[in-house]
Amino acid sequence: MTTFTAFEPEVLDGFRDAVGREHVIESPLEVFGYSYDASFLPLDRNTMPQAVVRPRTTAEISRVMALAHQRRIPITPRGAASGRTGGSVPLQGGIVLSLDRMTSILELDTANMMVSAEPGVRTVDLHDHCARHGLFFPPDPGSWKFSTLGGNVAENAGGMRAVKYGVTRDYVMGLEVVLADGSILETGGKAVKNVTGYDLTGLFVGSEGTLGIVSRALFRLRPLPKARGVLRVVFRTMDEACAAVQEMLLDGVTPSAAEIMDATCLEAVARARNTPVEEEAGACLILEIDGDGAEALEAQSRRIEAITGRAGCIAFRSAASREETEAIWAERRGLSSAVAAMAPNRLGEDISVPRSAFPEVVRRINAISTSSRLRIPVFGHAGDGNLHPSVLCDLADPDQAARAHQAVDGIFQAALDLGGTLSGEHGIGITKRPYFANAVGPVSLETHRAVKRALDPLGLLNPGKIW
Amino acid sequence: MVTAATKAGQGPFAAARGKVLGCDRCGTCLPVCPLFQVQDVERASARGKNALVRGLAEGLIPPDREAQEALEFCLLCRACTDACPGKVPTEEAMLQVRQALADTLGSTPLRSRWIGRVLRRRRMVALGAATLAGLRAVGLHRLLPSQLVPRETSRQAYLAEHAGPALLGAPGPRPEPALHPGAKVAYFQGCGMKLLFPDASRSTQRILAQLSPFQQPDHPCCGLPHLAHGQREAFLELARENIRAFEAADLVVTDCASCGGTLKHLASWFADDPVWEHRAARFSTKVMDLTEYLAAAGYRPQALPGATFTYHDPCHLARGQGIRRQPRQLLEQAGRLIELAEKERCCGGSGSFHLEHPRAAEAILRRKQEDIQGTGAQVVVTACPGCLIQLTRAAEQSGGAFQAMHISQVI
Repeated sequence: MTTFTAFEPEVLDGFRDAVGREHVIESPLEVFGYSYDASFLPLDRNTMPQAVVRPRTTAEISRVMALAHQRRIPITPRGAASGRTGGSVPLQGGIVLSLDRMTSILELDTANMMVSAEPGVRTVDLHDHCARHGLFFPPDPGSWKFSTLGGNVAENAGGMRAVKYGVTRDYVMGLEVVLADGSILETGGKAVKNVTGYDLTGLFVGSEGTLGIVSRALFRLRPLPKARGVLRVVFRTMDEACAAVQEMLLDGVTPSAAEIMDATCLEAVARARNTPVEEEAGACLILEIDGDGAEALEAQSRRIEAITGRAGCIAFRSAASREETEAIWAERRGLSSAVAAMAPNRLGEDISVPRSAFPEVVRRINAISTSSRLRIPVFGHAGDGNLHPSVLCDLADPDQAARAHQAVDGIFQAALDLGGTLSGEHGIGITKRPYFANAVGPVSLETHRAVKRALDPLGLLNPGKIW
Repeated sequence: MVTAATKAGQGPFAAARGKVLGCDRCGTCLPVCPLFQVQDVERASARGKNALVRGLAEGLIPPDREAQEALEFCLLCRACTDACPGKVPTEEAMLQVRQALADTLGSTPLRSRWIGRVLRRRRMVALGAATLAGLRAVGLHRLLPSQLVPRETSRQAYLAEHAGPALLGAPGPRPEPALHPGAKVAYFQGCGMKLLFPDASRSTQRILAQLSPFQQPDHPCCGLPHLAHGQREAFLELARENIRAFEAADLVVTDCASCGGTLKHLASWFADDPVWEHRAARFSTKVMDLTEYLAAAGYRPQALPGATFTYHDPCHLARGQGIRRQPRQLLEQAGRLIELAEKERCCGGSGSFHLEHPRAAEAILRRKQEDIQGTGAQVVVTACPGCLIQLTRAAEQSGGAFQAMHISQVI
């Protein structure tokens, strides 16, 4: 890790001039709150920034960046710090640029079905705002009730509805980005077809704050589905469940979410709710369908029932009431904590494989579970090949800790061997950094470096991340 | 890794750290924390405070006044725990860490010390109640700030407002006590009710008397103010006194959600003392909230046609004791109940929090006031004097748009 030197206290005055005195935080106790995110990285004195700067406007960001550039101060952008890979954790002191005060939804353009918003807007708030006007912002990362748009863009967040609606990248039409030296870049726009120059918008989506600071984003929207339904389907094996999902997609009856859980997950849920484990249940799908009304849903539900029946399902339930819908979703929502309750620690992973490789990667994870003598329940988004194996362990036991980390290595390798990738929706950040070079290869790594050098020659933006 | 982990596992903050180990800092608690809603810095959030606990335990944060201040800035409202996927008990962690900080620093924060001192002594409380009664009688209490002495709305005034032909109609059905007849009922009159809401307390006693004769043994404070600010020894002494005082009762009914919540969970604080742990556990099984008792006893309030209520769930009743249905049931019988938006969001009272952090409490209360006015109800009802202090203030600030009353005054 690069060593860093603290900046002189008088620089703080420059930041105070830029954003207002009360929006620069420097007390060690307060600053400590900006030294972590939702990853499993331990709390660490070395990840404390020297100060936290909280701008309210693009102009303020620009002033802060220019000063930091001039004084060679590292900058780590941060939204809600709900990331899972350490993306917003500062590794070289400097400042945390906290964008949580930039919470305005700037324009909802219903004619073009687009919305522009600042990076500190909560995902759920943008969704609800659009929904009130009959429009739909689909990206729904699990953290959508507290995550913010800047982080969604920087990590290219996914979510349950990706199977039908895609991920954040599929909705970003344009960005306003403050570059490392404080200059302000505009990319994209409202024109749906746009091939003027490089796709700079795409370059910044998923760049994890290493290339620039997103200060405004323009998203395209869809019409809000008029009706939603939920189905719960149980199979004997994960293979059968995966085959059923593939069959649905081939047949053109695309669920808006296709959440899969394995037998260990079902056991965890049953244990948490104090209910008996369903006999013979080896896999469960929770499917969301949406459409124009009750009839459309009914038709989809019948087709899915036929497909899952052919695939060998042993139980099929279509929620008939609000309560039943809520009960089925509660099972999926409670899953994470039910799994967490099975062991003192959990290393939750986020690999992604081609859809066809889903059953095989699950088999390999099961084999890793056996050889590491650790339970590894698997759940995920069956429709898009993104799965979240959770290595259950007690990290206080050094032997288990070693086996757990080996198991994670094995899971990454299995994903790569099957043509998959290290991260479906969480990003690389710090926690997956050791695996990055191997995963992408030398040419890709050098290309990444070249882009970084071009946009951030001093290496001040979110240093120490991705590779 | 030996250093941080070993230190953390053994030091004065080990117990508090144990409570928050399940926190993976996901952020689910951020949008539901009432304090983070009005002060959007990480330190103010539940996640931030849980991290501070670990920071203290792991030697990353010095145990100083600033840390103590930061950890006092919690309403203990449990909204975070309710939303948390891992059900991390932040409230319990705060009690533990405040104690550890008080032990380490040798004192509790100045502002909470005097409250603890007064409430520890029964005679001081009685004297305070008598003094305030005297001031109220001549109207001088209005000279004191309303955070200290809320302007209580009396049941009499409420009845007068609703007096008229409707009141002369057929009386509501008489109460029918159904709870094991002959049970010896005792009333636990908390300090808040005694000192600040004597009319509401009289209403409670009036209702209790309708159901059965009841005792009112001499007893001290429930001890929550002490527990909340690192005075565990004082709390334990008060708890023992209370257990003794109510030995003869079969049921201990209280009209204070905070007292009830505390008294129902005494045993866990005596984990190292088997004799008292057992006595505390037995005592706790006898404690009932007033609304819980009335619903179980089949009490039917007299209906006042035309009365419209909205109900604010006290943190220590809804999340603390799981009591949500009973007060609503009673209010629906007494008039028309209009539900409040985010009805379980803390009002910012939280014991002496509103005195120690008036600006934050005021900001929280403003949102509550808007929600109450949004219902159009005449009266906001609650079941805890802590909340009633805040709500009475909101009622005053609303310029008469609504009144704030304890549930015993309207049923």
